[in-house]
Amino acid sequence: MDNLTLHVSDVTKRFGSGPTEVTAVRHVSLAIEPGEVVLIMGPSGSGKTTLLLMLGALLKPTEGTIRLNGNLISELGEDQLPRIRLHDFGFIFQDFNLLSALTAVENVALVAALAGQKNGTARRMAEDLLTQLGLKDRLDFLPENLSGGEKQRVAIARALVNDPAILFADEPTANLDSKIGHEIMRLLRAIAKGQGRSVVIVSHDQRIKDIADRVLWLEDGEFKEMTSMAIDPVCGMAIERERAAARLERDGQTTYFCSRGCRREFEEEGVAAPQGEGWYAD
Amino acid sequence: MTRLAIRNLFQNRTRLIISVGGVALALMLILSLDGIVLWIQQRVTAYIDASGADVFVAQAGVRNMHMASSSLPADREALVAGVDGVESVTPILYATNVVAVGEERTIAYIIGLPSQTLAGGPWIVSAGRADPGPGGAVIDRGIAEKSGVGLGDHVEIMGRPFEIVGLSGGTTSLTNSIAFIGSEDFSKLRGDPDTVSFLFVRVEPGASPPDVAGRIESEVDGVTAQTRQEFAAQERQVVRDMSTDLVRIMNAVGFLIGLAVMGLTVYTATLLRRGEHGVMKALGARNRDLYASVSIQALVSVGLGLGVGLVFTLLLSAVVPRLASNLGLAISLASVGKAALASLVFAGAAAFLPIRQIRDLDPAMVFRGK
Repeated sequence: MDNLTLHVSDVTKRFGSGPTEVTAVRHVSLAIEPGEVVLIMGPSGSGKTTLLLMLGALLKPTEGTIRLNGNLISELGEDQLPRIRLHDFGFIFQDFNLLSALTAVENVALVAALAGQKNGTARRMAEDLLTQLGLKDRLDFLPENLSGGEKQRVAIARALVNDPAILFADEPTANLDSKIGHEIMRLLRAIAKGQGRSVVIVSHDQRIKDIADRVLWLEDGEFKEMTSMAIDPVCGMAIERERAAARLERDGQTTYFCSRGCRREFEEEGVAAPQGEGWYAD
Repeated sequence: MTRLAIRNLFQNRTRLIISVGGVALALMLILSLDGIVLWIQQRVTAYIDASGADVFVAQAGVRNMHMASSSLPADREALVAGVDGVESVTPILYATNVVAVGEERTIAYIIGLPSQTLAGGPWIVSAGRADPGPGGAVIDRGIAEKSGVGLGDHVEIMGRPFEIVGLSGGTTSLTNSIAFIGSEDFSKLRGDPDTVSFLFVRVEPGASPPDVAGRIESEVDGVTAQTRQEFAAQERQVVRDMSTDLVRIMNAVGFLIGLAVMGLTVYTATLLRRGEHGVMKALGARNRDLYASVSIQALVSVGLGLGVGLVFTLLLSAVVPRLASNLGLAISLASVGKAALASLVFAGAAAFLPIRQIRDLDPAMVFRGK
């Protein structure tokens, strides 16, 4: 694995044209260093996934450039991108996206084989990785017979098998319970720190921000200051404190809501006031 | 990719059964039809092949028996017998008529045989005798069983009752059977004792049938002489000409069924795997990797379909003659080759259809939850 740096410079992505034009990402710049865990958060529709797609060379920006170790990848043709996706990047998906007809070890070995490894070598590499991730006794299980956490570990092994410099994870904990989700995040952090890989995570999950080296807040396609954000305890929506539709002062704490309805529900049903790390209440 | 293709194929058993079954059915149709036609062609020349004659002499211009009429003056027998290299000549009378038992009527080639004939008689006799003699008839055993008659019973041939004196084998086909009566009876019924239909010639040991046939044609007026092989080939050609259009139509039907089944199943399978193909593209798979996966699935499906179709056709060829004595299937290597070629076309077309679908698949769809 080479220590690669990903540089995003003034990237904009627009969909459609004329009156139906939508700008999903606006003039975003970002540098991801080797071994760094970057968490990109933001409300639904903020442009997180679009940004991740552009970082992962799955979508071309309308403006701006993306360079991998100095090489301009945002201008490469579709015929050149599979090699980068295979060798330099690893992808982890919200829904795991394992191939249902293949066993755990075959899912991982397939990606190694696509990169040119012989079948026997690919299988050995897959077995080693899955064993390291604690799945030694699940090698020949089909995805349907694995738990959510096991599926995500298989997906992580698949993302790692070609020794990529950067891992991209799209909502990796969304379909996992909190304990397993945390384990997965710790695993990703260990991979970043132990192996010097960069990990870029897109997530709504506030609980995982403690494993990130850097947390970026994307809203309306732009990065914003994280400290100005709060989470509505009823609906979970991230909101700017200054623009919160309602707030509630109680026991010296201020709670922010996206709407009056949420505040009413909070008051009537006695939803517990948010506690602990990850909840942005004063 | 091969493993993925095979696993994908076998993961959905119902779809696999439909695709393999559909291809097998289509190929069975092609193979069976070819088998029936080949069997008919073989049966239609069975009499010629087993007649014992080396050269067949007919009225000038007549080159086969099926759906043909030949009339030779009786004196031609002596003229042909005088040709160098001829060992014996057997005059045969021939007409297409029916063998009737009560209401049961079967179309038959009626052969009028001289007594103690040297050629042209029944070649398999399962009961009774081969020589029909005066007032006697030798009919096909299957026809007799179907009509519920046996030795000593009577059948009506050319409007006159005959006693069954022998039961022959191998003398029936899909459209007709062969019945043998004495040539004197035949001549009386036809009312023309001075003509015969064909002259069956045996050549002397060491003589060449083509040479003898050539000499007969040059020395005897108003006749056409062909070797057994030539005569049989002409007979087969007539059947082939009559059945070509039918065979073509049915083959086209089978071909279209196979094509539709394979095309549809591979296309829908690709469509259903759209998400997984998107994942593979996102992970770095190239379009050609996915084409390979789809092509392997199509090839394996048609390969299985060909195997299953062949096995079932062979079973059919074993079962059909037991159920119907006048029908059979003869499976040739050429037919199997044709079915294999059709299979390749099925696989190629089925693999080609989803190419655009795969090519245009956006790997980013995986992240958009499509």
